Amino acid sequence: MITIDFLLLIGAVLLLLSILFAKAFQNLGIPTMLIFIGVGMLAGSEGIGGIYFDDAKLTQSIGIVALLFILFSGGLDTDWPSSKAVMTPAFVLATLGVFLTAVIVGIAVMLLFDTSFLWGFLVGSIVSSTDAAAVFSVMRAGNIRLKGRMKPLLELESGSNDPMAIFLTIGSIELLLFPEKPALNILWLLIAQMGLGGTLGLLGGKLMTHLVNRLKFSYEGIYPVFALALAILVYSFTANVGGSGFLAIYIAGIVMGNKQFIQKRSLIRFFDGLAVLSQITMFLTLGLLVFPSEIGDIWWVGLLISAILIFIARPLSVFLTMIPFRFSFRENLFASWVGLRGAVPIILATFPLIMGIENSDLIFNIVFFIVLTSALLQGWSINPAARLLGLAEQEEKKKSIPLEFISDKDDETVLEEVIIPFNSGVIGKQLAELEFPDTSRVVLIVRSESNIIPNGKTELMEGDVLLVLIKRSDAEGIRNIIQMPSRDSEDT
Amino acid sequence: MKLSDLLSEKYIISNLKSRHKEDVINELIDLFRGDDKVNDIEKVRASVMDREKIMSTGVGKNFAIPHGKTDAVNDIICAFGRTNEPIDYQSLDSQPVHLVFLIVGKDTMVSTHIKLLSRISRMMTKDGFREKLLKETTVEGIIKHFREEEANYFEL
Repeated sequence: MITIDFLLLIGAVLLLLSILFAKAFQNLGIPTMLIFIGVGMLAGSEGIGGIYFDDAKLTQSIGIVALLFILFSGGLDTDWPSSKAVMTPAFVLATLGVFLTAVIVGIAVMLLFDTSFLWGFLVGSIVSSTDAAAVFSVMRAGNIRLKGRMKPLLELESGSNDPMAIFLTIGSIELLLFPEKPALNILWLLIAQMGLGGTLGLLGGKLMTHLVNRLKFSYEGIYPVFALALAILVYSFTANVGGSGFLAIYIAGIVMGNKQFIQKRSLIRFFDGLAVLSQITMFLTLGLLVFPSEIGDIWWVGLLISAILIFIARPLSVFLTMIPFRFSFRENLFASWVGLRGAVPIILATFPLIMGIENSDLIFNIVFFIVLTSALLQGWSINPAARLLGLAEQEEKKKSIPLEFISDKDDETVLEEVIIPFNSGVIGKQLAELEFPDTSRVVLIVRSESNIIPNGKTELMEGDVLLVLIKRSDAEGIRNIIQMPSRDSEDT
Repeated sequence: MKLSDLLSEKYIISNLKSRHKEDVINELIDLFRGDDKVNDIEKVRASVMDREKIMSTGVGKNFAIPHGKTDAVNDIICAFGRTNEPIDYQSLDSQPVHLVFLIVGKDTMVSTHIKLLSRISRMMTKDGFREKLLKETTVEGIIKHFREEEANYFEL
């Protein structure tokens, strides 16, 4: 009998190992998901850990919960103004692009391995969506800055293309199991998934923001828990009425992240932590689930389908669907390369296992192999690819001071830049002499583009930019102080 | 990034028509109409006017630097205008304004925003540079002066 204490010990050790390995390898540019999967595989039945784990159902559940948090946190972090401009191309990529990818892979599998088209199409569908967790983690790793529309496009695509892949997978499973089922039912599934997912996500996001702002909790610790419950509610409600919960929670995150609400910063941080935990847990579990020896048997099949996906299916669907949007050839090439596959395919690959589709363990192993090669080959090379194609921006020097101020809803106190007038009487005076109002503070002085943290003895100079936390009612007093006439002008 | 990279010809008015503070700000903001960087021009206007309400940005020596931060732009955007006629700007030194530099920053890029403010403030404290701009009446000339002056400064 395994006790909970023992399970916790294993969990803690695996988490710590994942974090430590990720830190140790961070300079090599290995996508962290590979490290986590690697730790899982090492700990697994055929690794040194020898933990026997083959519960596809549990893995699927963990994957769903993890993805829910990853998508919500990703949505919260999405900058809507820059995403809005690429909404249409992202939507086309996330629907038509996904479908094309699935069809091309399906045809290739059918021709190469003499399977039925539907079986091939099932494999294609499972690997048809790019992975939000993987794309976000690569795009936001901090060592890449993409020019123009590529970053919002690829993030938006990866966050919103899962419903299509889920739909295609479930649709082809249903057709394999019940060939007589009318195609119309399956189309209806798509409409419900997208329509309900989109609508409920939009409403859910607005409702969440409203509730968080409306209900005042005296204890701050309540807010994350409250938001967490609401997020899970948005997902589960949508999924239970037949919509895509993943799409809903991602959209709810975007809506909320671009509105003002109480405790915004701490909530975003809370969900960020949760998303990291989810990523590690999910990839660890997937690593545990796989039996490397079985993958070894089908390595050439996996490699071949991988190559088709990476070099034919993804580029073809990107270039074809993006024709109306006039991206440059280089941009299309880059978008083709950021076709990272991740957790969703592996989670989707557990569906046929659970549904008892013929050769479903083969599908699972093939998909796992595809995800590994995609993460290894593409995840590793995205930064060089961006630089090679001239799409990377020069990295800003990061010696800046973190400046952010989220005002309360009433914004009675604001953080504003104030420039010391060119002929002001305060020039040469120390801050302490100025007798600023007690409710306002100079928090930073920027002189000749360099930051100075002020103290009472800091002398002011002509043209200094002061970052001042100003209470609006103090503004006039401060104005009177800094426009004090200088002695020279008094003389004249 | 340099200020002079941000300041192309379409963002410069060599002969401002308006004579009053708010009209001048509006005249410059109207240059942003239809710009890719701007998602909501009214929000941009509101952010600049709101900042002006707290304290005038007429910093003296005939120069004003209206600015604001907002989520309605997706990148920093600026404009410059000059005029031979005096503008009533309620400046901190109570003198009329002839040179106006407008900066609208993205609310999540405070650090860059404040550095650009520092850059323009530093350039404008130089009497010689201000004199050149006061005398220059062509858009091309204005751009040239900004480029030459900023050539001595590092990239932000």
